[in-house]
Amino acid sequence: MSKTRFIAILLFIGLIAQFGVCASGKPVGAAPQTAPAQQSWQREFEDVCSRTQDAMTFSQQELTALIQRCDALQGRIDKLDDTQKKVYMGRLRMCRGLYAYVLESKRNEKK
Amino acid sequence: MNRKMFFLVSLILIFCLPTLSQTGSKKKRPLPYEYGQVVINNFSDRAGMDPVVFQHWIHRSMFTCRVCHVDVGFGMKAGATGIKAIDNERGYYCGACHNGKKVVDGKTVFQACSTNATVEDQKRCDRCHSLNKKNVASDFDFFRFSAPLPKERFGNGIDWEKSEVLGFITPSKYLDVGSTMNKNLALQKDFALNPKVEGMPEIIFSHKKHTVWNGCELCHPDIFMGVKKGATKYTMLDISEGRSCGACHTTVAFPITDCQRCHSKPVQP
Repeated sequence: MSKTRFIAILLFIGLIAQFGVCASGKPVGAAPQTAPAQQSWQREFEDVCSRTQDAMTFSQQELTALIQRCDALQGRIDKLDDTQKKVYMGRLRMCRGLYAYVLESKRNEKK
Repeated sequence: MNRKMFFLVSLILIFCLPTLSQTGSKKKRPLPYEYGQVVINNFSDRAGMDPVVFQHWIHRSMFTCRVCHVDVGFGMKAGATGIKAIDNERGYYCGACHNGKKVVDGKTVFQACSTNATVEDQKRCDRCHSLNKKNVASDFDFFRFSAPLPKERFGNGIDWEKSEVLGFITPSKYLDVGSTMNKNLALQKDFALNPKVEGMPEIIFSHKKHTVWNGCELCHPDIFMGVKKGATKYTMLDISEGRSCGACHTTVAFPITDCQRCHSKPVQP
Protein backbone atom coordinates (compact mmCIF):
# COMPACT_ATOMS: atom_id res chain seq x y z
CA MET A 1 0.00 0.00 0.00
CA SER A 2 1.42 3.37 -1.04
CA LYS A 3 2.06 6.10 1.48
CA THR A 4 -0.47 8.49 -0.14
CA ARG A 5 -3.20 5.85 -0.11
CA PHE A 6 -2.52 5.14 3.59
CA ILE A 7 -2.76 8.85 4.46
CA ALA A 8 -5.98 9.15 2.39
CA ILE A 9 -7.57 6.24 4.30
CA LEU A 10 -6.55 7.78 7.63
CA LEU A 11 -8.02 11.14 6.59
CA PHE A 12 -11.24 9.41 5.48
CA ILE A 13 -11.61 7.62 8.84
CA GLY A 14 -10.90 10.89 10.64
CA LEU A 15 -13.58 12.69 8.63
CA ILE A 16 -16.18 9.99 9.38
CA ALA A 17 -15.38 10.16 13.08
CA GLN A 18 -15.64 13.97 13.00
CA PHE A 19 -19.00 13.77 11.19
CA GLY A 20 -20.34 11.33 13.76
CA VAL A 21 -19.59 13.74 16.57
CA CYS A 22 -21.03 16.81 14.80
CA ALA A 23 -24.22 15.17 13.50
CA SER A 24 -25.44 13.96 16.86
CA GLY A 25 -24.16 16.98 18.75
CA LYS A 26 -22.32 14.74 21.17
CA PRO A 27 -19.68 12.01 20.91
CA VAL A 28 -21.13 8.83 19.44
CA GLY A 29 -21.66 6.22 22.14
CA ALA A 30 -21.47 8.69 24.99
CA ALA A 31 -23.78 8.02 27.93
CA PRO A 32 -27.01 10.07 27.93
CA GLN A 33 -26.55 13.15 30.07
CA THR A 34 -29.07 14.76 32.33
CA ALA A 35 -30.13 18.21 31.16
CA PRO A 36 -28.33 20.94 33.10
CA ALA A 37 -31.67 22.52 34.06
CA GLN A 38 -32.83 19.26 35.61
CA GLN A 39 -29.53 18.86 37.41
CA SER A 40 -29.84 22.34 38.85
CA TRP A 41 -33.33 21.89 40.34
CA GLN A 42 -32.35 18.48 41.68
CA ARG A 43 -29.21 19.87 43.29
CA GLU A 44 -31.25 22.64 44.88
CA PHE A 45 -33.90 20.14 46.01
CA GLU A 46 -31.32 17.88 47.60
CA ASP A 47 -29.59 20.78 49.27
CA VAL A 48 -32.83 22.09 50.78
CA CYS A 49 -34.45 18.81 51.75
CA SER A 50 -31.38 17.02 53.09
CA ARG A 51 -31.35 19.35 56.09
CA THR A 52 -34.60 18.24 57.67
CA GLN A 53 -32.77 16.34 60.41
CA ASP A 54 -31.16 19.59 61.52
CA ALA A 55 -34.40 21.57 61.47
CA MET A 56 -34.44 21.99 65.26
CA THR A 57 -31.00 23.59 65.27
CA PHE A 58 -31.82 26.32 62.71
CA SER A 59 -32.63 29.89 63.65
CA GLN A 60 -35.93 31.46 62.62
CA GLN A 61 -34.18 33.36 59.82
CA GLU A 62 -32.59 30.19 58.47
CA LEU A 63 -35.91 28.35 58.56
CA THR A 64 -37.66 31.20 56.76
CA ALA A 65 -34.98 31.16 54.08
CA LEU A 66 -35.38 27.39 53.63
CA ILE A 67 -39.17 27.77 53.30
CA GLN A 68 -38.66 30.42 50.64
CA ARG A 69 -36.29 28.12 48.75
CA CYS A 70 -38.94 25.37 48.92
CA ASP A 71 -41.52 27.76 47.48
CA ALA A 72 -39.17 28.73 44.68
CA LEU A 73 -38.64 25.06 43.84
CA GLN A 74 -42.38 24.41 43.44
CA GLY A 75 -42.57 26.21 40.11
CA ARG A 76 -39.62 24.25 38.74
CA ILE A 77 -40.95 20.88 39.90
CA ASP A 78 -44.34 21.74 38.42
CA LYS A 79 -42.79 21.61 34.96
CA LEU A 80 -41.55 18.02 35.31
CA ASP A 81 -43.31 14.94 33.92
CA ASP A 82 -46.29 13.51 35.83
CA THR A 83 -44.30 10.88 37.71
CA GLN A 84 -41.49 13.17 38.81
CA LYS A 85 -43.98 15.86 39.75
CA LYS A 86 -45.92 13.41 41.92
CA VAL A 87 -42.79 12.15 43.69
CA TYR A 88 -40.96 15.43 44.20
CA MET A 89 -44.01 17.59 44.98
CA GLY A 90 -44.88 15.13 47.75
CA ARG A 91 -41.38 15.25 49.14
CA LEU A 92 -41.19 19.01 48.87
CA ARG A 93 -44.51 19.35 50.70
CA MET A 94 -43.20 17.22 53.59
CA CYS A 95 -39.90 19.03 53.71
CA ARG A 96 -41.48 22.51 53.61
CA GLY A 97 -44.11 21.38 56.10
CA LEU A 98 -41.45 20.40 58.61
CA TYR A 99 -39.56 23.69 58.34
CA ALA A 100 -42.81 25.62 58.76
CA TYR A 101 -43.73 23.42 61.73
CA VAL A 102 -40.40 23.98 63.48
CA LEU A 103 -40.54 27.70 62.73
CA GLU A 104 -43.96 27.93 64.33
CA SER A 105 -42.78 25.98 67.36
CA LYS A 106 -39.81 28.36 67.76
CA ARG A 107 -42.09 31.37 67.50
CA ASN A 108 -44.36 29.85 70.14
CA GLU A 109 -41.39 29.25 72.44
CA LYS A 110 -40.57 32.96 72.45
CA LYS A 111 -44.14 33.96 73.36
CA MET B 1 -105.00 -4.89 75.94
CA ASN B 2 -103.28 -1.74 74.70
CA ARG B 3 -101.38 -1.46 77.93
CA LYS B 4 -100.22 -5.07 77.67
CA MET B 5 -99.13 -4.52 74.07
CA PHE B 6 -97.25 -1.36 75.01
CA PHE B 7 -95.49 -3.15 77.85
CA LEU B 8 -94.51 -6.03 75.56
CA VAL B 9 -93.12 -3.76 72.84
CA SER B 10 -91.16 -1.75 75.42
CA LEU B 11 -89.71 -4.93 76.87
CA ILE B 12 -88.60 -6.15 73.45
CA LEU B 13 -87.05 -2.77 72.67
CA ILE B 14 -85.16 -2.68 75.97
CA PHE B 15 -83.60 -6.07 75.27
CA CYS B 16 -82.86 -5.27 71.63
CA LEU B 17 -81.31 -1.82 72.10
CA PRO B 18 -77.83 -2.97 73.17
CA THR B 19 -77.63 -5.19 70.12
CA LEU B 20 -78.96 -2.51 67.76
CA SER B 21 -76.52 0.08 69.10
CA GLN B 22 -73.52 -2.09 68.09
CA THR B 23 -73.38 -1.16 64.46
CA GLY B 24 -69.64 -1.82 63.94
CA SER B 25 -68.29 -5.09 62.70
CA LYS B 26 -65.58 -6.89 64.60
CA LYS B 27 -62.20 -6.75 62.91
CA LYS B 28 -60.45 -10.02 62.29
CA ARG B 29 -57.04 -10.10 63.90
CA PRO B 30 -54.49 -10.60 61.12
CA LEU B 31 -52.14 -13.55 61.19
CA PRO B 32 -48.45 -12.74 61.79
CA TYR B 33 -47.55 -12.91 58.10
CA GLU B 34 -50.59 -10.82 57.17
CA TYR B 35 -49.87 -8.00 59.59
CA GLY B 36 -48.84 -4.87 57.67
CA GLN B 37 -50.11 -6.27 54.40
CA VAL B 38 -51.38 -3.54 52.06
CA VAL B 39 -53.69 -4.10 49.12
CA ILE B 40 -53.16 -1.52 46.38
CA ASN B 41 -55.90 -1.21 43.82
CA ASN B 42 -55.83 2.23 42.27
CA PHE B 43 -55.72 1.10 38.68
CA SER B 44 -55.22 -2.70 38.70
CA ASP B 45 -58.89 -3.63 38.31
CA ARG B 46 -59.32 -1.21 35.44
CA ALA B 47 -56.24 -2.64 33.77
CA GLY B 48 -57.73 -6.12 34.07
CA MET B 49 -55.20 -7.25 36.65
CA ASP B 50 -55.47 -8.47 40.21
CA PRO B 51 -54.79 -5.85 42.91
CA VAL B 52 -51.26 -5.66 44.31
CA VAL B 53 -50.54 -7.26 47.68
CA PHE B 54 -47.63 -5.54 49.38
CA GLN B 55 -45.83 -7.29 52.23
CA HIS B 56 -44.43 -4.83 54.72
CA TRP B 57 -42.47 -7.38 56.73
CA ILE B 58 -39.85 -8.17 54.12
CA HIS B 59 -39.42 -4.58 52.98
CA ARG B 60 -39.10 -3.18 56.49
CA SER B 61 -36.34 -5.67 57.23
CA MET B 62 -34.28 -4.03 54.46
CA PHE B 63 -35.14 -0.33 54.65
CA THR B 64 -36.10 2.19 57.28
CA CYS B 65 -39.62 3.63 57.05
CA ARG B 66 -38.17 6.97 55.94
CA VAL B 67 -36.53 5.59 52.82
CA CYS B 68 -39.85 4.45 51.35
CA HIS B 69 -42.29 6.92 52.87
CA VAL B 70 -40.17 10.06 52.45
CA ASP B 71 -37.46 9.49 49.86
CA VAL B 72 -39.32 7.16 47.52
CA GLY B 73 -42.60 8.95 48.25
CA PHE B 74 -45.10 6.24 49.24
CA GLY B 75 -48.10 7.65 51.12
CA MET B 76 -48.96 6.48 54.61
CA LYS B 77 -52.37 5.15 53.62
CA ALA B 78 -53.15 2.39 51.17
CA GLY B 79 -54.04 3.86 47.79
CA ALA B 80 -52.97 7.38 48.75
CA THR B 81 -49.98 7.41 46.41
CA GLY B 82 -51.84 6.59 43.20
CA ILE B 83 -48.99 4.56 41.74
CA LYS B 84 -49.26 3.83 38.03
CA ALA B 85 -47.38 1.18 36.08
CA ILE B 86 -45.61 3.91 34.12
CA ASP B 87 -44.27 5.38 37.40
CA ASN B 88 -42.65 2.04 38.19
CA GLU B 89 -41.31 1.71 34.68
CA ARG B 90 -39.69 5.13 34.93
CA GLY B 91 -37.82 3.93 38.02
CA TYR B 92 -39.93 5.55 40.73
CA TYR B 93 -41.94 4.02 43.60
CA CYS B 94 -41.67 0.19 43.38
CA GLY B 95 -39.48 0.67 40.31
CA ALA B 96 -36.83 2.41 42.41
CA CYS B 97 -35.69 -1.07 43.51
CA HIS B 98 -37.74 -3.44 41.38
CA ASN B 99 -35.94 -2.56 38.18
CA GLY B 100 -34.41 -5.89 37.19
CA LYS B 101 -30.95 -4.46 37.91
CA LYS B 102 -30.64 -3.89 41.64
CA VAL B 103 -28.95 -6.76 43.45
CA VAL B 104 -29.83 -7.62 47.05
CA ASP B 105 -28.05 -10.47 48.85
CA GLY B 106 -26.69 -11.73 45.55
CA LYS B 107 -30.15 -11.84 43.92
CA THR B 108 -31.37 -9.51 41.20
CA VAL B 109 -34.55 -7.77 42.29
CA PHE B 110 -37.28 -8.59 39.78
CA GLN B 111 -38.57 -5.81 37.57
CA ALA B 112 -41.96 -4.25 38.34
CA CYS B 113 -44.26 -3.33 35.47
CA SER B 114 -43.13 -3.19 31.86
CA THR B 115 -45.01 -2.02 28.79
CA ASN B 116 -43.61 -4.78 26.64
CA ALA B 117 -44.58 -7.61 29.00
CA THR B 118 -44.94 -10.95 27.26
CA VAL B 119 -46.97 -14.00 28.25
CA GLU B 120 -43.84 -15.37 29.91
CA ASP B 121 -43.73 -12.23 32.05
CA GLN B 122 -47.12 -13.09 33.56
CA LYS B 123 -45.50 -14.94 36.46
CA ARG B 124 -43.47 -11.85 37.24
CA CYS B 125 -46.62 -9.67 37.19
CA ASP B 126 -48.33 -12.16 39.50
CA ARG B 127 -45.67 -11.72 42.16
CA CYS B 128 -47.21 -8.36 43.05
CA HIS B 129 -50.65 -8.49 41.42
CA SER B 130 -51.47 -11.43 43.63
CA LEU B 131 -54.73 -10.83 45.51
CA ASN B 132 -56.70 -14.08 45.69
CA LYS B 133 -53.89 -15.96 43.96
CA LYS B 134 -52.41 -19.08 45.42
CA ASN B 135 -48.83 -20.34 45.13
CA VAL B 136 -47.38 -16.94 44.27
CA ALA B 137 -43.63 -17.10 43.62
CA SER B 138 -41.59 -15.41 46.34
CA ASP B 139 -37.92 -15.26 47.29
CA PHE B 140 -38.80 -15.07 50.96
CA ASP B 141 -40.74 -17.30 53.30
CA PHE B 142 -42.15 -15.54 56.37
CA PHE B 143 -41.70 -18.44 58.77
CA ARG B 144 -38.13 -19.17 57.69
CA PHE B 145 -37.33 -15.47 57.83
CA SER B 146 -38.87 -14.86 61.25
CA ALA B 147 -37.65 -18.06 62.94
CA PRO B 148 -34.33 -16.67 64.30
CA LEU B 149 -35.67 -13.20 65.15
CA PRO B 150 -36.61 -12.07 68.69
CA LYS B 151 -40.27 -12.71 69.34
CA GLU B 152 -43.08 -10.35 70.21
CA ARG B 153 -46.66 -11.18 71.19
CA PHE B 154 -48.55 -9.16 68.61
CA GLY B 155 -48.32 -7.86 65.07
CA ASN B 156 -45.88 -9.88 63.01
CA GLY B 157 -44.79 -11.68 66.17
CA ILE B 158 -41.36 -10.11 65.67
CA ASP B 159 -39.61 -7.60 67.92
CA TRP B 160 -38.25 -5.43 65.10
CA GLU B 161 -36.43 -3.02 67.34
CA LYS B 162 -34.56 -5.78 69.13
CA SER B 163 -33.89 -7.50 65.81
CA GLU B 164 -31.96 -4.45 64.67
CA VAL B 165 -30.13 -4.03 67.98
CA LEU B 166 -29.01 -7.67 67.88
CA GLY B 167 -27.92 -7.34 64.27
CA PHE B 168 -30.45 -9.72 62.71
CA ILE B 169 -31.62 -6.97 60.39
CA THR B 170 -29.86 -3.83 59.16
CA PRO B 171 -32.46 -1.58 57.54
CA SER B 172 -30.78 0.75 55.09
CA LYS B 173 -31.25 4.50 55.62
CA TYR B 174 -30.36 5.31 52.06
CA LEU B 175 -31.44 4.29 48.60
CA ASP B 176 -29.15 5.06 45.68
CA VAL B 177 -32.14 6.29 43.67
CA GLY B 178 -33.58 9.53 44.97
CA SER B 179 -32.54 9.56 48.62
CA THR B 180 -31.41 12.84 50.06
CA MET B 181 -28.51 12.26 52.39
CA ASN B 182 -29.68 13.04 55.88
CA LYS B 183 -27.34 13.15 58.79
CA ASN B 184 -28.09 11.25 61.93
CA LEU B 185 -30.47 13.27 64.01
CA ALA B 186 -29.24 15.03 67.11
CA LEU B 187 -30.93 13.08 69.87
CA GLN B 188 -34.11 14.47 71.33
CA LYS B 189 -34.98 13.59 74.89
CA ASP B 190 -37.66 11.05 75.72
CA PHE B 191 -40.73 12.53 77.33
CA ALA B 192 -43.75 11.32 79.27
CA LEU B 193 -47.35 11.74 78.21
CA ASN B 194 -50.09 11.64 80.79
CA PRO B 195 -52.89 9.23 80.02
CA LYS B 196 -56.41 10.42 80.64
CA VAL B 197 -57.42 7.39 82.68
CA GLU B 198 -56.41 7.45 86.33
CA GLY B 199 -54.18 4.59 87.37
CA MET B 200 -52.99 3.93 83.82
CA PRO B 201 -49.17 3.91 83.54
CA GLU B 202 -47.71 6.96 81.78
CA ILE B 203 -46.62 6.77 78.17
CA ILE B 204 -42.90 7.21 77.62
CA PHE B 205 -42.40 8.52 74.14
CA SER B 206 -38.94 7.98 72.76
CA HIS B 207 -37.98 10.41 70.00
CA LYS B 208 -34.79 8.41 69.55
CA LYS B 209 -36.62 5.19 68.76
CA HIS B 210 -38.95 6.92 66.35
CA THR B 211 -36.55 9.19 64.47
CA VAL B 212 -33.99 6.50 63.81
CA TRP B 213 -36.39 4.87 61.34
CA ASN B 214 -38.72 7.72 60.46
CA GLY B 215 -36.79 10.98 60.40
CA CYS B 216 -38.79 14.09 61.33
CA GLU B 217 -40.94 14.95 58.33
CA LEU B 218 -42.76 11.63 58.27
CA CYS B 219 -44.59 12.53 61.50
CA HIS B 220 -44.47 16.34 61.60
CA PRO B 221 -46.69 18.04 60.71
CA ASP B 222 -48.82 15.54 58.77
CA ILE B 223 -49.52 13.15 61.65
CA PHE B 224 -48.71 15.28 64.69
CA MET B 225 -49.66 18.88 63.97
CA GLY B 226 -49.39 20.50 67.39
CA VAL B 227 -46.05 22.18 67.96
CA LYS B 228 -46.13 22.07 71.74
CA LYS B 229 -45.96 18.90 73.80
CA GLY B 230 -49.52 17.85 74.56
CA ALA B 231 -51.01 20.34 72.06
CA THR B 232 -52.38 17.58 69.83
CA LYS B 233 -55.14 15.87 71.78
CA TYR B 234 -55.94 12.32 70.84
CA THR B 235 -57.76 9.45 72.43
CA MET B 236 -57.38 5.69 72.19
CA LEU B 237 -60.37 5.77 69.85
CA ASP B 238 -58.51 8.15 67.51
CA ILE B 239 -55.50 5.87 67.62
CA SER B 240 -57.54 2.75 66.94
CA GLU B 241 -59.03 4.52 63.93
CA GLY B 242 -55.57 5.12 62.49
CA ARG B 243 -54.96 8.69 63.57
CA SER B 244 -51.86 9.99 65.46
CA CYS B 245 -49.88 6.98 66.82
CA GLY B 246 -52.39 4.76 65.05
CA ALA B 247 -51.03 5.81 61.65
CA CYS B 248 -48.33 3.16 62.21
CA HIS B 249 -49.33 1.36 65.40
CA THR B 250 -52.47 -0.15 63.95
CA THR B 251 -50.97 -1.11 60.64
CA VAL B 252 -47.27 -1.92 60.62
CA ALA B 253 -45.57 -1.12 63.91
CA PHE B 254 -46.53 -3.15 67.01
CA PRO B 255 -50.30 -2.82 67.50
CA ILE B 256 -52.06 -0.99 70.34
CA THR B 257 -53.12 -4.26 71.91
CA ASP B 258 -49.55 -4.41 73.23
CA CYS B 259 -50.39 -1.81 75.93
CA GLN B 260 -47.20 -2.01 77.99
CA ARG B 261 -44.95 -1.10 75.09
CA CYS B 262 -46.22 2.50 75.37
CA HIS B 263 -47.77 2.69 78.83
CA SER B 264 -44.48 1.76 80.37
CA LYS B 265 -43.88 4.14 83.28
CA PRO B 266 -45.18 2.76 86.56
CA VAL B 267 -47.80 4.82 88.32
CA GLN B 268 -46.29 6.91 91.14
CA PRO B 269 -48.05 6.37 94.46
